[in-house]
Amino acid sequence: MLSRAAWSLVLRKGGLGTRGTHSPGGTARSEGKMPPYSNYYAQRSYPMPDEPFCTELTAEQRALKEKEKGSWTQLSHAEKVALYRLQFHQTFAEMNHRSNEWKTVMGCVFFLFGFAALVIWWERIYVFPEKPITLTDEWKAKQLQRILDMKANPVQGLASRWDYEKKQWKK
Amino acid sequence: MAHPLQLGLQDASSPIMEELLYFHDHALMIVFLISSLVLYTISLMLTTKLMHTSTMNAQMVETMWTILPAAILTSIALPSLRILYMTDEINNPLLTIKTMGHQWYWSYEYTDYMDLNFDSYMIPTLDLKPGELRLLEVDNRTVLPMETPIRMLISSEDVLHSWAVPSLGLKTDAIPGRLNQTTLSATRPGLFYGQCSEICGSNHSFMPIVLELIPLKHFETWSALTS
Repeated sequence: MLSRAAWSLVLRKGGLGTRGTHSPGGTARSEGKMPPYSNYYAQRSYPMPDEPFCTELTAEQRALKEKEKGSWTQLSHAEKVALYRLQFHQTFAEMNHRSNEWKTVMGCVFFLFGFAALVIWWERIYVFPEKPITLTDEWKAKQLQRILDMKANPVQGLASRWDYEKKQWKK
Repeated sequence: MAHPLQLGLQDASSPIMEELLYFHDHALMIVFLISSLVLYTISLMLTTKLMHTSTMNAQMVETMWTILPAAILTSIALPSLRILYMTDEINNPLLTIKTMGHQWYWSYEYTDYMDLNFDSYMIPTLDLKPGELRLLEVDNRTVLPMETPIRMLISSEDVLHSWAVPSLGLKTDAIPGRLNQTTLSATRPGLFYGQCSEICGSNHSFMPIVLELIPLKHFETWSALTS
């Protein structure tokens, strides 16, 4: 009872969802209850459930359901559409429609990238300690010379790529 | 030793490490094959609008994806065990060195032909000479003869440490109260660096190992000088 009351607070009217709020046109609405108050559970992978979408029919709709029991060639186009809307919540086109959600997602992602970059910039100025002296260019050059002098990794590694006769990197 | 931006393992300086390099290539190739197959399958799954909800059983594919991984694992295990047993082969070491791990330095004892005992501390960054390697150089290097099998006995005086030299394919835990043995045999002279490989406190990253491998004649001269 309490959980149903809470659910109704969360549930927006029409139950659009994220994709719905991003759609350009807006989905077609139908009369009828939304989950969890109905037994209609349609999904992309199970699009046509057995239970109909609208279970509480007006007199007019009930008359239409009676007419449906006869020959379908006697139904007008509008009546066929009305019957479809009674049975199903959305058409395939509505269910598969594209939305603009990706733009929101990418926008948030890039925004967070930028925010992280700002945070790191601030940290570089106020937080990070001094770099050790071994990262200066002269030290790195002397270090490389030392590594080549001791012929470290002479088989396939660094020293194997140095030409000791010509004192230059192998072409 | 490793150079900046290095991607693979260091070049092998001992026969076991050569075997390990080949084994690593073999295992990594298997890993790449499996990953490509899985990525390909995922991309096939994700790029279709078709739906399939009615599979009840799939005996053929289940059999395949049981037998095939077993075969792959066997093909990884057999070379691995071969190398494992190779490390334990009898090789008649000519020299025995004891190394004890401390917080936070290594100490070495040469007690075969001389009575030598020294500590090996890392050289702090501020005391490095230009061109030396930060966090890797030590004050007293472990001098050893090359191309000879050497028995290393490794233990610890306080907490767990691990004595590791990647280019020789060595890593042996230093456990207090226990004596672990490994065999060292270098094919090249030179300096070989390693670092403590078992967390042992605040300066765990700052207790490196440097082996200085020199020809036997020079080793004999050195040992005459130091004893």
